[in-house]
Amino acid sequence: MEIDVAEPERSQAACERCGRPLESTVACLECGALLRTDEEDPFRAFGIERAFEVDAKLLRKKLLKLQRATHPDFFATQGEAEREAAERATSSLNAAFEILSDDLRRADWLVSAQGGPSRDDERQMPQAFLMEVMEWNEVLEEARDGGTGDPNALATLTSDLDAARTTELAGLERDLTPLPAAGDERLRTVRRRLNALRYIDRALGEIGTLTR
Amino acid sequence: MAYIELDVIQDRTEPVLGIDLGTTNSMAALFVGGKPVVLRPSDHGGVVPSAVFFADDGSTLVGGKARDRAAAEPDRALFSVKRFMGRGLDDVQQDLENVPFRTSAGPNGVIQFHVREETYTPEQISAMILGEVQRLACQALGGEAPKRAVITVPAYFDDTQRQATRTAARLAGLETLRIINEPTAASLAYGLDQRKEGTVVVYDLGGGTFDVSILAIEDGVFRVLSTAGDTHLGGDDFDRVLVQLAKQELAPKISAEDLTDPALTQSLRLAAERCKQELSRSPSAELHVSIADHGVTLRRRVTRDEYEALIGDLIQRTLALCTSALADAKLTPADVDEVVLVGGSTRTPAVRAAVEAAFGRVPHTELNPDEVVALGAAVQGHVLAGGTRDVLLLDVTPLSLGLETMGGAVEKIIHRNSPVPCSAKAGFTTYADNQTGMTFNIVQGERELAEDCRSLGRFELKGIPPMPAGMGRIAVRFAIDADGILQVTAKEETKGATASIEIHPMNGLDDDQVEAMLKASLDNAKEDFEARRVADLLIELGTMLAAVDKNMTAVNERLDPESRLEIEEAAADARALTAKGAARPGVEHAQKIRDRFEQATLPLAAVLMDNVARTALSGKALSDV
Repeated sequence: MEIDVAEPERSQAACERCGRPLESTVACLECGALLRTDEEDPFRAFGIERAFEVDAKLLRKKLLKLQRATHPDFFATQGEAEREAAERATSSLNAAFEILSDDLRRADWLVSAQGGPSRDDERQMPQAFLMEVMEWNEVLEEARDGGTGDPNALATLTSDLDAARTTELAGLERDLTPLPAAGDERLRTVRRRLNALRYIDRALGEIGTLTR
Repeated sequence: MAYIELDVIQDRTEPVLGIDLGTTNSMAALFVGGKPVVLRPSDHGGVVPSAVFFADDGSTLVGGKARDRAAAEPDRALFSVKRFMGRGLDDVQQDLENVPFRTSAGPNGVIQFHVREETYTPEQISAMILGEVQRLACQALGGEAPKRAVITVPAYFDDTQRQATRTAARLAGLETLRIINEPTAASLAYGLDQRKEGTVVVYDLGGGTFDVSILAIEDGVFRVLSTAGDTHLGGDDFDRVLVQLAKQELAPKISAEDLTDPALTQSLRLAAERCKQELSRSPSAELHVSIADHGVTLRRRVTRDEYEALIGDLIQRTLALCTSALADAKLTPADVDEVVLVGGSTRTPAVRAAVEAAFGRVPHTELNPDEVVALGAAVQGHVLAGGTRDVLLLDVTPLSLGLETMGGAVEKIIHRNSPVPCSAKAGFTTYADNQTGMTFNIVQGERELAEDCRSLGRFELKGIPPMPAGMGRIAVRFAIDADGILQVTAKEETKGATASIEIHPMNGLDDDQVEAMLKASLDNAKEDFEARRVADLLIELGTMLAAVDKNMTAVNERLDPESRLEIEEAAADARALTAKGAARPGVEHAQKIRDRFEQATLPLAAVLMDNVARTALSGKALSDV
């Protein structure tokens, strides 16, 4: 049986000002009250279920809707306290959106939130990945030194990295659905995949600089 | 209570100006009757050239008159000061080669311009320009101009440059409700005008700066996806290639020393600007300068092909930045729905052609590229004034922000193109036993080493309780507000000790300095007022003297000797005051002389009135009167 990790009371939470049900913990979309302006849980800020899979379009629509309630532009003629609360509320929504809309950052947040190992606790990459990394490093090394040999080496490397990226991302989604509870070994696997993805993105970035 | 409520209502509806404080031109717009309009007095186009001229008599000219006189007397004029806002002398060496200014480093490394015996910071000069913009707005509105404004800056302005802009507004007596980015402002004006949705690229090439912003417009929300730019790339650089061309041609004719003469530089600059503008309309134009002082005339025909070859590299630099903005937004040119051109320099046909080729579509040019930024700022002003909730601008920070770590590297805390407002935290640990303080260098920029980035200032965290190395945990929080301005706070977390922060601004004025300048400008305002009053009094004395001279002989015998003597004495004083080469009197002294003169001439006036009455009434019966 799967355990629903979404906290049930969240969906029933009511606005402390108008009493109507809340879509977000940051602000009430009904009456415009600013509530938990320092919300650190991006899923609660957006009022969506904690899960790896998110609907990008829904997320964007929700951001715009929430910003219409919290943005400092709509508080410009109010007192300093209100203006600051609006800055904080909008900041936390922006931070939440950055996490929710980015696969890697969302996975990173979920691993930590579910009690998995942090980046410092788990520095390994997936075993199968390591052999390839040694080869890739050689190609990169050569390109850094001015690139002798195979002129297509970097192009080949790029497509290899892209393929590896797709594989690891698919793995992230698999390992995080349904969301593992604390102590689940899958959290460690996800952390390792994230380490691999960080390596891939750094390498792709470097190729970008080298070929420009 | 009723009056309080009324105040609140008035406060809400009080309009907010939108001001484009440009390198070359500035102007104000306001949202009225459902749309933004540029504020123009009936006898004025509304454009204020961003120039200030310091005249002989101590008066200050701002705008068109200042620009016109700058050509003949460049040592008394300041222009393009936006290039120097929030900069240190080291940052602007190249800019200084192209302007005839004398400069020095002022407090906190702020640049100071020397004009005659006075020094002025870029903030003060910008404040004068803002004052003139406000004056025109006031005339156009036929009453008092709004005291609150939205002011635009290049998207690529860093924190110090934004702060300097706020300071300038404060010195001009304006409350800055919001600083917004120029391309974003343009997108607001454009998006509302054309009712467009989708992905829009704003290519903004102004006089001194280049910005490109990529936005998603959806349901009235203008969301900036990415921005890139160069605060040292603009139409002035196009002028410069023509100035260089002119100098090459002149080199055999005049000495190397004369070539660097400020007056010559200024004439060449203006000639280059005319030639550039003509080249936007015609296939060729003449670069024409005649310099009387050096007995040299230059007439050189420049073809558009030749000119376009000269500015090709500059245009390429703008396109490279477009590519980088697209990459940051994770988009390709094919994803772009519309391209909007902003800034006077986009009138250059080569620029239009290059942008069209780069994005594969004809750019929009319906809106006046010189006005669209001010119009957008007025829209934002309307939003901030509480006028509408249908429009919302979501912008990003153009440059990464971080702290210098041990060893001189940069730890980025907020990445470029993060939506604002935003905040982020970073943790540090103490590195020595019983360490009680820690110094941080706040840097802005994309480079890896702190020395390659711009230092925004240093602050010191004091009062860390004594403990072994590595035990003290310090949390530094960066917060960027909706103006794109940074606030930094730091806290020691283990013992929860409160700690104080002192930030030492770089290339920016601190509060005390701004206060001192405000006071000085008030004193100056008093001086200016008095000088004007004295000038008025002297004119009045002149008129009175002329009247006395004209009438004394005619009515001489009808005045008693005592009155005559008094008039003659008072007139002598007045003559001394108004004589050519006389020292400018104080306002009180001038007022006293004038009052005494008026008093003394009362009997004369009475006689004259009597004469007039007699002439008028002659031949009339008393009953007819």
